[in-house]
Amino acid sequence: MMLARVADSLYWMGRYIERAEHLSRLAFVMLHAALDRTDAAARATRIALAAVGDPETGLPGRAVDSARRLVFDRDTGDSVFASLAQARENARQVRDQMTTETWERLNLLYLRFMEGTAQAAFEIDAAAALQDIIADLHLYMGAADATMSHGEGWRFMRAGVHSERAQLIARLLRVCFGEDAATAVDHITLMNLLRMACALEPYLRVYTADISARYILEFLIFDHEFPRSIRYCTAQLEEHLSQLSHGQGGRSEALRLAGRLNARLQYADIGEVASHGASALLAAVGEECAAIHAAIHETFVAYPLEMSLPA
Amino acid sequence: MAEARTIENQQPPLSAEASYPLGEAYDEMFARDGLTRDNYSVLHRRIRTLSAEALADRQRTLERSFLLQGITFTVYGAESATERIIPTDLFPRIIPAAEWATIEAGLIQRLRALNLFLGDIYGQQRILADGIVPRDLVLGAPSYRREMQHLFVAHGAYVNVCGSDLIRGVDGTFFVLEDNLRVPSGVSYMLANRDASRRTFPGTFRRAGVRPVERYPDLLLSTLKSMASDHRANPQIVVLTPGVYNSAYYEHAYLARLMGVPLVEGRDLVVHDNHVFMRTTTGLGRIDVIYRRVDDDFIDPLIFRRDSALGVAGLFNAYRAGNVAICNAPGAGVADDKAVYAYVPAIIKYYLGEDTILPGVKTFLCREPAQLSHVLANLDSLVVKAVGASGGYGMLVGPHASAAERSAFAEALKADPSNYIAQPTIQLSTAPCLIDGQIEPRHVDLRPFILSGETTVVTPGALTRVALKRGSLVVNSSQGGGSKDTWVLADEPGGGAP
Repeated sequence: MMLARVADSLYWMGRYIERAEHLSRLAFVMLHAALDRTDAAARATRIALAAVGDPETGLPGRAVDSARRLVFDRDTGDSVFASLAQARENARQVRDQMTTETWERLNLLYLRFMEGTAQAAFEIDAAAALQDIIADLHLYMGAADATMSHGEGWRFMRAGVHSERAQLIARLLRVCFGEDAATAVDHITLMNLLRMACALEPYLRVYTADISARYILEFLIFDHEFPRSIRYCTAQLEEHLSQLSHGQGGRSEALRLAGRLNARLQYADIGEVASHGASALLAAVGEECAAIHAAIHETFVAYPLEMSLPA
Repeated sequence: MAEARTIENQQPPLSAEASYPLGEAYDEMFARDGLTRDNYSVLHRRIRTLSAEALADRQRTLERSFLLQGITFTVYGAESATERIIPTDLFPRIIPAAEWATIEAGLIQRLRALNLFLGDIYGQQRILADGIVPRDLVLGAPSYRREMQHLFVAHGAYVNVCGSDLIRGVDGTFFVLEDNLRVPSGVSYMLANRDASRRTFPGTFRRAGVRPVERYPDLLLSTLKSMASDHRANPQIVVLTPGVYNSAYYEHAYLARLMGVPLVEGRDLVVHDNHVFMRTTTGLGRIDVIYRRVDDDFIDPLIFRRDSALGVAGLFNAYRAGNVAICNAPGAGVADDKAVYAYVPAIIKYYLGEDTILPGVKTFLCREPAQLSHVLANLDSLVVKAVGASGGYGMLVGPHASAAERSAFAEALKADPSNYIAQPTIQLSTAPCLIDGQIEPRHVDLRPFILSGETTVVTPGALTRVALKRGSLVVNSSQGGGSKDTWVLADEPGGGAP
């Protein structure tokens, strides 16, 4: 039994945490790429900015300025700071549902932004500061995993994480490989793309250092073991929604949509994606994820009262 | 950490004569002759071994841990909202076992009588008929809720959670200054301060033999359970909060978490067919007991304030139908009215036939012409309070006020005398506090928490509130007050606690 409002907050908290981590990593890769005096640097910045929906794809300024905006600009919705603030606001709403260990990780990170210590660290050594932020977010995830009951609340949080992650990866891939791809892709850019998805090392384990667009698509869309592939995320979503739908008699619209999307990826023809490009599939993933998101809200949070009043 | 036998260092020895000026007030640590009181001897010895830096270090750790835990209240500015911690002092206030025994007995006696009083004025009104308490004083009070007339309240427990404010006068006697019977707050600070002081002075804590406060959440839960209708086997309890923007939100979430019950807001609740439900992910769940941290005025827009969105429409009817318990009962506040306060000794005598164990403060009712003229003649020595106000607002502390403030207040008094009471200024006792690296005396009060349902219990501990400004007697957190932990000793010092 869990309050509908609480479930909603936990779900959003998961989404915002995932977004904060993703944005931190984009900023980190951007800075990393900028160290090379090649076109790849500018390309990495363009990909990162396009992936967060920033239309400024013409002449990006210095990478460090873009990174600073991406991390600390509280006024735009898409920044690490704004995401953390939202995650923490949601966490405060459901403080009674979280373990102290989990709450304190998030609160500590938020306070570092509020007190300006994160900003100060960024000015001294931007890359190290971003690594610290990412590590702190991992600590938070770890604390949640290790101390919270893996029941309803935790599942709503994880559903938020995976639904956000599937959308973010799909968007990143569309920027690189979609019809209106932002840029041509070379070897260095592909490496940076893998870094942005936190996938470089796991990719190398599977495909060795043979880096190609085809394998990257295969890995980031269809791999069933890598936790940041789209299919892994949809499988998790389906699993969480299946457990969460017990109270709905084991069936819900959200579960149906998640199951359908997962099956589509599970049984997709990889060869077709390879020959015809992935844009249609990636666009469909984005739309389906949005539909699942809406269905979760409709099923668990904003359901019509008339249906559930006692006779 | 071993605390024993640290070499005395540069820290100037703390003594009553040196840096710690004893005033007219009773000091919790030092007796009049400058000697350390027995109950403080263990702590005093420990403090003397700590350098100024060590103390400052502990104070910083303490504040950091409060911030990290999110024990904060929010201050809203023009642009942004900042979260602040309530200032917390690291030295515990220590109460000897025998004094606590009196406090405990006095509080239980008082709450029993006040619950009987509430049952009577919302029932037969015998005490009004017998002329013990003036009828218009009770029925005319804004906190009197005629909607409560003739409603059944389990165990006659209108007040389930009470947080009385006690002060200690110059001769060391404890007085009840105020009974908080509506939605008293601060208990989370009692628990959080305890957590902190166990870490700040671990050895001292063990050696002193301090009674535990950690059972408060489960005692609160059983108190609430005892208020549920008899026929409900496993009652669903919830904590009702006004929401995350309320200054006591941390406490609401804290109590819900420690009791393991849902923390709900008005928008989570639905009343259907005189039953109260909450919206869960799997439909509606029935609620049996609501520990509400929302004022009477806001719990039901149909009955009380119409513009309130904090409560839920129809709640009071469900309560009236006996399908849900609301704790504390609506209308309980009439018994902590500042004018009714003057009659509490008479109320105790009337219902229990006993003499008052814990005295109240002499109170002048300005509604009586003779008392009003006495008050007006002695404004420079009295504290005058508006009957309806709380939190240190609407109050004149005569000795500290300017002549202009006094004459302005005198006009207000004459214009609406029944809205005011006056009390002699009491020198609140002082306790040692760390102020800018120095140990200095500051005025303190004491807020213990009493739970009353099927049984009545007092948790052996309290929130000690501190007036952080030198010489100030106002301890309210809204007026720059802080808090500290309160140790109630299990045995008399030297009695050989294990």
